[in-house]
Amino acid sequence: MRDNAKGGALTEVTFFILLSLYTPSHGYGIMKFVEDKTQGRLILGAGSLYGAINTLQERNWIMPVDDGSGRKKEYVITEIGKEIAEAEMKRLKSLINIAEEIIGGQEQ
Amino acid sequence: MKKCYRFFGGFLDTQENWLNQMAQKGYRLIKTGKMTYDFEECQPGEYQYAIEFVAQQSFKKEREYRAFLEELGYKVFYKNANLNFSAIKLRWRPYGSGMGQISTKPGNYNKELFIVEKRNTGKPFELHTTNSDKSNYYKSLRNAWLVTVVMLLTFVAWQFIDKGFISKGVIAFGILGILCSIPTIRYQKRISAYSVRANIEE
Repeated sequence: MRDNAKGGALTEVTFFILLSLYTPSHGYGIMKFVEDKTQGRLILGAGSLYGAINTLQERNWIMPVDDGSGRKKEYVITEIGKEIAEAEMKRLKSLINIAEEIIGGQEQ
Repeated sequence: MKKCYRFFGGFLDTQENWLNQMAQKGYRLIKTGKMTYDFEECQPGEYQYAIEFVAQQSFKKEREYRAFLEELGYKVFYKNANLNFSAIKLRWRPYGSGMGQISTKPGNYNKELFIVEKRNTGKPFELHTTNSDKSNYYKSLRNAWLVTVVMLLTFVAWQFIDKGFISKGVIAFGILGILCSIPTIRYQKRISAYSVRANIEE
């Protein structure tokens, strides 16, 4: 994971995992979410997903959900995680604005 | 049922390709032994296989990872990358991290690899998909080979200094050291390539 928390730039995978966990989900659910939302452009391998989940848990951006039955392990985004995701959305919006000023001006 | 005798050792890509070819021919893996693979018949191309190197992980971490893969609906087999017939079922893995340095039986002794089976969905089956994760994964493989190279060449140097001439043993172990540096360099090249890519995309 190369996320720079200070600069706020998340990797695409990290941002997608955070977004997928606004509703509690398990590993397969996250994989499916990423694949569906990107129409298969971005496919997340199990090993990479596993590493990402562990890193995000260590940072307290996501946490496991204890549903009692404990069959399939589910995760959910934390308050810190939501702050990070919101900051990332703002950063991307401003990036898009700059890009449109420069590139988008040609289209009218 | 079909039984095959093979030993791939450190050639992980070759093993993965062979299992995928077997699956294409309609054979599904049901059991692995030290040098054997048992298959049962299945629809050609029904399953896909990926090999995962896990020897750098402690037994506890490795079991957690295995449970995660199984939760995704994958089937996981253990496989050895070495042939050990020693009486003492204990091995030091200098390239491991933390408790991953020691492997015992019962435990992760002789279980350096996972063979991961997935139902074929027509898409490539890769466990590592991001550039930074790929580069990290290949680092663990490079380190395992690098340790072997360093140990062999240290032994060669020591023998040479001790005896004062180039013995047959020195030559044999020297050649082995050089051979082991081939995969070390190959994995290093992959690490570098993915690290560079991780800097500009992802």
